[in-house]
Amino acid sequence: MALYTLPAEQVVKGIKSGELSVEEYISHLFERIERVEPKINAFVTLHKEEALNRARILGKKIGEGKQSGPLAGVAFSIKDNICTKGMKTSCASKMLESYIPAYDATVIKRLLAADAIIIGKANLDEFAMGSTTEFSRYGPTRNPWDTRRVSGGSSGGSAASVAAFECTASLGSDTGGSVRCPASFCSVVGLKPTYGLVSRFGLVSYANSLEQIGPIGRTVSDVVSFLNVIAGPDENDHTTTRANKPSYSLKERKGLRVGLVKEFIEGADPAVSKIIYEAADTLAKQECYCEEVSLPSVEYALASYYTIATAEASSNLARYDNIRYGFDMNPEGYEWNSYFVRARGNFGEEAKRRIIVGSYVLSSGYYGKYYMKAHQARSLLKREMESLFNRYDALVGPTMPVLPFKIGERIDDPLKMYLVDIDTVVANLTGMPAISVPAGFADGLPVGLQIMADQFAEQTLVDVAYLFEQTAKVQRSPEL
Amino acid sequence: MVVTREEVKHLGWLAKIEMSDAEVQHYTAQIEEIISYLNKLDTIPLEQVKPITMKKNFSELRKDVPENFEDVVLGTEYRKDGFVKGPRMI
Repeated sequence: MALYTLPAEQVVKGIKSGELSVEEYISHLFERIERVEPKINAFVTLHKEEALNRARILGKKIGEGKQSGPLAGVAFSIKDNICTKGMKTSCASKMLESYIPAYDATVIKRLLAADAIIIGKANLDEFAMGSTTEFSRYGPTRNPWDTRRVSGGSSGGSAASVAAFECTASLGSDTGGSVRCPASFCSVVGLKPTYGLVSRFGLVSYANSLEQIGPIGRTVSDVVSFLNVIAGPDENDHTTTRANKPSYSLKERKGLRVGLVKEFIEGADPAVSKIIYEAADTLAKQECYCEEVSLPSVEYALASYYTIATAEASSNLARYDNIRYGFDMNPEGYEWNSYFVRARGNFGEEAKRRIIVGSYVLSSGYYGKYYMKAHQARSLLKREMESLFNRYDALVGPTMPVLPFKIGERIDDPLKMYLVDIDTVVANLTGMPAISVPAGFADGLPVGLQIMADQFAEQTLVDVAYLFEQTAKVQRSPEL
Repeated sequence: MVVTREEVKHLGWLAKIEMSDAEVQHYTAQIEEIISYLNKLDTIPLEQVKPITMKKNFSELRKDVPENFEDVVLGTEYRKDGFVKGPRMI
């Protein structure tokens, strides 16, 4: 078995016992990256020297018999909208082309303290705005299962780098499905935690009230290992809960009550629905009690999401004035306003579109019609979900209503592109956790099963995901 | 027509984003389609629903003290006498 295919647990075990050399392992991964990266384009920047350097330091530490962290030697990629000290963090945008953060995001600090090793910064849709990674300044990330197709987005580079065995796990961010969508399209596991479980300090903001950083891995076990390290309160993010640091585990649990969301299934491509019904059967065979449930307010979810997300985006992106950091544009000879207008004209197409839509819905006169209503719809949806979680442990459905489509197929039709987020935005609007687990293939293309649970019920989420994964045994390695 | 070219142009100005005439044209049709979709929100009787609000006491927040970042490399080379240069005000 090639070293690059090892799951996190085995890497840690091998490295801690001295059977596996950290340096050799990391070098081996970079050989793999050199081989497959030209086909995938998962990375914005690679950090080979830093990675090898950290590997040497860790190797030395272990050699001296010193204590090492729970993720010793595990290689991971980071979506390029999460700040890394001394490493360019571009958000795949011209606007942050040369931005080098002066600090690490809290999640990065925690992973480094756990002795995990950064491989590189992963591609994304500019400022995490998109569902395909086509809106990146560095070109689209290609789907490892069919390189003519999109990887999903916006954490497309993260999911593709994991699926293509370029690293063990990755961190993405999920504002409306940006971790789960590419996880589904690339047949890997992606988790969006409950709002407030993981610190957003150091995540470049797109829509603060919706987003969370979440791990992506090839197995539920790898995702849980990463979640255990990054979760927990942080004084630098006041939206994190003050509860103690949680710890999740893998255990066989049967007899779970599972609701199959009717609206999600009915709205999906029949090829996708078929796989999801089969997934429900798989769970039912494991003594889960499965039945169809209805979530009528889902009809308004997407309109609510795009109103809130664009409103928050227009406000967040207002900070980029290109004065203290950004790209090379001499302020000499410009008047204040003309400089901003010219510099900010360098936002990409989708970012500009969302800024305009956000400004529109926040305009005086329209505020009550859109923004206020969106928040009311959000509240209604949350109430419906809470009542369902009184009766069910988890809700399931497809992560994406469609199969991974061809690159370029939807890029000129923004509304059509937004519509693919219909099943994922619910978790963001309600703050509830959700995970996408590989469910199978239709026409050779991956389908993801989305599992949702009540707020802070990540353990239940993991229980259902693990049970399904262990029973369904869906293939995880694309031919590249 | 829900969204006009003038509105898009005006919003672009408010958001300080330069757009060519062709871009304004291109965006107007798309934004019109998006806003029409968002109009869905207007069809639900929501008067009785209260929006979700977050409550946090000041005492729960960390102390607001400045932090020194050593060796900060600013992303701009346009500087003078230890200051960052910006465009002129008028």
